[in-house]
Amino acid sequence: MPMNERPSAEENLRVIRTLMERATVYRAISAPTALVAGLLSISAAAAIFLSEANVTVGRPIRSRQFAITWIIVLILSLAANTFFVWREARKTGRPFISPGMKLALRAIAPCLLIPAAFTGWFFTTGYLGGEELELVVVWVAFYGLALLATALFAPHSLAVLGWAFLFTGLSVPALVNWIEGLPGDVPNLAMGITFGLYHLIYAAATWPRKRASDAAQIAIE
Amino acid sequence: MLDFDKLDKAIHEKGRLAIMTLLATRVSWPFQDLKTELGMSDGNLITHLRTLHKLGLVAMKKEVRARPQTSYSLTAKGRAAFKDYLDVLEQIVKTGKR
Repeated sequence: MPMNERPSAEENLRVIRTLMERATVYRAISAPTALVAGLLSISAAAAIFLSEANVTVGRPIRSRQFAITWIIVLILSLAANTFFVWREARKTGRPFISPGMKLALRAIAPCLLIPAAFTGWFFTTGYLGGEELELVVVWVAFYGLALLATALFAPHSLAVLGWAFLFTGLSVPALVNWIEGLPGDVPNLAMGITFGLYHLIYAAATWPRKRASDAAQIAIE
Repeated sequence: MLDFDKLDKAIHEKGRLAIMTLLATRVSWPFQDLKTELGMSDGNLITHLRTLHKLGLVAMKKEVRARPQTSYSLTAKGRAAFKDYLDVLEQIVKTGKR
């Protein structure tokens, strides 16, 4: 018996590990939320670009309007996320605020304090100097940090998204001389690429497919 | 000498092992969540949970929120049995490697 038991024991340990990992994973951003956020961001970036080209509005968008546009995108994305979470909770009979969500919110909250304070400063003083690029860097970098704060219990894809945002945010100060030489609205382009394109790539990579996890299959055999 | 009979037969069954594993990860699990996570049928899951409940390894709690919901959790005996089971598995693997 002992020698025959070893493969079975290893298999059982593997099943236990897989199930435990899966049960403790919480995805703070679902694929549908990322899709909505990505599409909204691309739309917002396009609208700002067109307004600056004097196509839709008679004059270029101002600093505070720029920030307000992106805050509206944030609010709409949060509303979409709330709807998706509510719909899932209703479908499965789970509580709306799950233990996983509480854990994620506790991890993320500290990372949002500086962006919130910086945004407040931008609306009162920063907009006078046209500091949109600094605002974008803070938003992008701290959004990346917020995602990475959930990395201990998040799937790998979310951590990759976090690193992508963080590196992009950090690269702006490093490349500032080169960026200043670029034609066009760099802050708007950066927002479109990060919150738009990155989210769309994440949504495509993580879109729910029919799950046939080997662990679950083993469990029901 | 390792005593392989220590391997708890109630937990060693794959369906019940999966249930015990999930229950070990959180304070409690609603029935629906267990079903979703394990992909088991209602009947199969209920049968396994009943077996574990009868053995005193799993506790059951019925609540009425928006709809009636039954949650399951490990008892102290269940948690200890699961830990012992893991210890024995670990020993089996280690013994086989020597």
